[in-house]
Amino acid sequence: MLGRRTWIGLATVLAIVVTWFLLTTITGMVSGGRFPSPAEFWASFRQITGRGYAGGDLLQHALHSLKLVVMGFAVAIATGVPLGLWMGWSRKVEAAINPVFLVIRPIPPLAWIPLAILWLGLGDAAKIMVIWFSAFVPSVINSFTGVRTIDRPILEAARMLGTPRLRMVTEVIAPAAAPMIFTGLRLSLQASWTTLVAAELVGALVGVGFVLNMAQQDLYPGMILVGMVTVGVLGWGTTKLLAMAEQRALAWNVAARD
Amino acid sequence: MGSIRFDHVDKVFGPNTGGIKALEDINLKIGEKEFVAIVGPSGCGKTTCLRMVAGFDAPSAGVVSVSGKPVTAPGPDRAVVFQQFALFPWKTVRENIELGLRNKNLPAGERADLVANALKLMNLESHAAAFPHQLSGGMQQRVAIARAYVLDPEVLLMDEPFGALDAQTRVVMQEELVRLARVNPRTVLFITHAVEEAVYLADRVAIMTRRPGRIKEVLDIRAIRQAENWDKHPRIEDVMDLESFVHLRTQIWKSLREEKGANVI
Repeated sequence: MLGRRTWIGLATVLAIVVTWFLLTTITGMVSGGRFPSPAEFWASFRQITGRGYAGGDLLQHALHSLKLVVMGFAVAIATGVPLGLWMGWSRKVEAAINPVFLVIRPIPPLAWIPLAILWLGLGDAAKIMVIWFSAFVPSVINSFTGVRTIDRPILEAARMLGTPRLRMVTEVIAPAAAPMIFTGLRLSLQASWTTLVAAELVGALVGVGFVLNMAQQDLYPGMILVGMVTVGVLGWGTTKLLAMAEQRALAWNVAARD
Repeated sequence: MGSIRFDHVDKVFGPNTGGIKALEDINLKIGEKEFVAIVGPSGCGKTTCLRMVAGFDAPSAGVVSVSGKPVTAPGPDRAVVFQQFALFPWKTVRENIELGLRNKNLPAGERADLVANALKLMNLESHAAAFPHQLSGGMQQRVAIARAYVLDPEVLLMDEPFGALDAQTRVVMQEELVRLARVNPRTVLFITHAVEEAVYLADRVAIMTRRPGRIKEVLDIRAIRQAENWDKHPRIEDVMDLESFVHLRTQIWKSLREEKGANVI
């Protein structure tokens, strides 16, 4: 059932777990105060899924973080992709927006956190705003590039066929740029998770980042690792979902690349 | 049915940065249902001529008109078949052919009939649901030709349409085009650098000079084709063997060779 590549991947994971076990539990080369042993990790996991930690169980923290990422990411797509397409289509719009973009772009998304908290407090709104900002930039840039790299004959063929403006966007430009748009979405999703955890580390009352923050203050390496792994799993799962959406939307392209 | 007219047409590329004169004083009339091929050395501006009729490029001086009206923008009255096919890879064969009809706001029933006819005309019926990348180059170009024909355009503009195909497919497509021209005659402007192709397909062949491109001479093939009865030969190789064909081909070759540095296949 499983392919050769999957087996190789599983072997790597197994090797890491064995090494982890060797370094911590068997030889004690790494002390439990610095990095948890598998047993400590398991105990922390049992604690947060059972009694709970930092004001909630793992599911509550994870779902809350997931909700914020999905919302920030969705707003970023809804605003970033159309803007990128528009900038790609119109030299005037590009000329108008690019200077602003060039200055805002190098500001790390995390640098928006203080301002966001000042404006919107420690609640969800501030985090969604920061996620939006961080996910916005790759969406815009890749959508823009996607439009600019469309083969000229494709656009000329569409014009020759008398394609009206709106249909030009929905049936020609957007699908032609779609492979690049999805590249942008993958980067946006990554940025969303990075930013979320950072924002929750700075100020939150629930969420995976908050778990990490509490565990650090409690000098609790086992729980820190649980928090990190949770972010990893959530990030992997959402990326996988996005990849599945891409495969569906770009069936023509996936097949064309084979 | 449309006619095409070039009136003292010049084209300069990059006029603000010194400028390269691509075309100089082009004058050419293509009558209704006439098939005219333009041959010329690479870079002589023959494709630019076609692009101006299509409305993709504007002349720097002079007028390009179709059926008496100056060309201002691209439109479905001037259907283009591109060398690189330019099909929409995310649309099926049927959707590719249908787009132009949807743009004309034809009712669904009428569209279905027209698409079915076009599919039949180009022997594409069994590929209607396929995506372009699933088809060979020759089949893709059939789709592009069907997409152009279905528009019922005033003129058909073909820009080295068989240039990207292998030799065998090319021959099949050339024969196909002759068949098509008999069933459904159109005003055609055909750009090619293949002399045989031009002589085989066209009513008249316009020979261009190297840059800046001018029309050097226009040869009428029709009289010879009729007198020698080329059309009774169904296969292109038989036509190409005829003395009258060889003679015309050589004449065009010599004319092109006079263009110093000419680079013609």
